Amino acid sequence: MNRNDSRPEPPETPSSFDDRLKGARERQGLQSARDTASADPLDRAGWGMMLRAGTEMIGGLAVGVAIGLGLDHWLGTRPLFLIVFAFLGGAAGILNVWRLVKP
Amino acid sequence: MPPDVFGRTILAAGTTIDALGQFELHPVLGELGATLRFSQSPALMIVAVVLVLAFLYIGMRPRAVVPGRLQAAAEICHDFIHNMAVDTIGPEGRAFFPFVFTLFFFILAGNYIGLIPFSFAFTSHIAVTLGLAILVFVLAVLVSLKSQGLKFFAHFMPDGAPMALAPLLIPIEILSFLSRPVSLSIRLFANMVAGHVMLEMFAAFTIMLAGLGIAGDVLAVGPVVINIALMALELLVGALQAYVFAILTCIYLREAVAH
Amino acid sequence: MQRAILTLRPVARIATSALPLATGLLVAGAPGAYAAGMPQLDFGNPLVIGQVIWGAAIFLVFYLIVSRSALPRVSTVIANRDTQIANDLDIARDAKAAADQAVEELRRARHDAAREAQDNIERVINEARSAAAQQTAAMNARLAREIHEAEARLSEARTKAMGSLRDIAQDAASTMVRQLTGIDADAARLRTHVDAAAGARGH
Repeated sequence: MNRNDSRPEPPETPSSFDDRLKGARERQGLQSARDTASADPLDRAGWGMMLRAGTEMIGGLAVGVAIGLGLDHWLGTRPLFLIVFAFLGGAAGILNVWRLVKP
Repeated sequence: MPPDVFGRTILAAGTTIDALGQFELHPVLGELGATLRFSQSPALMIVAVVLVLAFLYIGMRPRAVVPGRLQAAAEICHDFIHNMAVDTIGPEGRAFFPFVFTLFFFILAGNYIGLIPFSFAFTSHIAVTLGLAILVFVLAVLVSLKSQGLKFFAHFMPDGAPMALAPLLIPIEILSFLSRPVSLSIRLFANMVAGHVMLEMFAAFTIMLAGLGIAGDVLAVGPVVINIALMALELLVGALQAYVFAILTCIYLREAVAH
Repeated sequence: MQRAILTLRPVARIATSALPLATGLLVAGAPGAYAAGMPQLDFGNPLVIGQVIWGAAIFLVFYLIVSRSALPRVSTVIANRDTQIANDLDIARDAKAAADQAVEELRRARHDAAREAQDNIERVINEARSAAAQQTAAMNARLAREIHEAEARLSEARTKAMGSLRDIAQDAASTMVRQLTGIDADAARLRTHVDAAAGARGH
């Protein structure tokens, strides 16, 4: 007598399509919302770290020696500025390494 | 020993290993190359540039919405550097993206071309890597001056340091700053030179062992195996060093655009 | 085996990092001494500086081509794809919303139709029921009336019968009196007696 009850919904699994659509939209929108990448993944690796520290150290020293040599050549005061700038360059190299390992 | 057809000195017979001869520059194109100072190094630079551009242009020729393999590869390269630049530098990174892209692929192609036997890696020359590093350094300084003005020079005095130490600290900070391009270039240069020297040395071991008779023939397999492993390592190092160069460029530029 | 690899790994690390370091030290520490050995430091060779000039030119051309032509090409394709995907997703979302709405409307329409049909059925049933009740009532009324009429006719017939019974009784009484006595009985007196007898019997 009572035919009022609605038939069951077709077996569409109502959330699946919605979920997939939502996921697709997020993926599309989230493309640029990535976190800032870690500065240098090599810092974590042992040998990369060692290499970086070495080159930073050498870089500072090399610049100091080069400037010292240049000033000496210009002013004719060899080896005064070479010594001074070699020390300063070494300090700069140590500072570079310190900056590298500090954070 | 005169250079062979490939413009390199084959290691002399005997026990000496000429591991550095591979880095010698020789004019190509005969007299014209000598006059124009055109060695195999710029020639391979041109090859590298042509290869990268060919990859990009051929890859992007279909302009397909659903990319094929080559197009997908080109797009991945684009996205990789783009994300690196924008994530590291910030929104301003978009302006520097082509520069970082050029830098990365110039170095990467140079590193990889150098791994082809009888070829030459122009990134194993300190003059080239220092030139690239100075280019980056000058760009970073110019961007700093543009975005920060004279406040840029205030960075050479550390915050909170006693004034009395300024005559010592400021030169150290300046030297530290100036050492950036040097360490940047030495890192790439040293890696490439080391890899090629090792490859050359183990190859030379093979030849030397091969000259010792049957036992030597057997033993000579060892260095060949090592060289195969080294080749794999060098493929990794070549990509890694290009990446490090690019990411450090991005970091310097981020400091430059920050205020 | 695993252990051997674990112990070998740091060795390999140091080996791979020490060599570049050593080379770097050689270069930076004593440039003059090794200039003869390292072709890279032979700055007297015009080709060494020449490659930097050439490299600058090549790099500049490379940069210009990449920034003006090659990368915009890639960017355009990627941007086109992104907008197309975004559009498609919007279309899909709108279509999904429309489909959901249509399904809802269909459900409601079906619900409404079912309810209306139910109402109609009930109304029809009620109508039929009331019609039947009315018919029954009319039939009942007619039957009652007919029964009533029949009873009335019956009682009338009975009264009539009863009335004629007294006449017959009176006739019979007068006949019996005349035959017994030979005299005609007084009709009025006879009637009174018959009535009394009938009344006593309840007729």
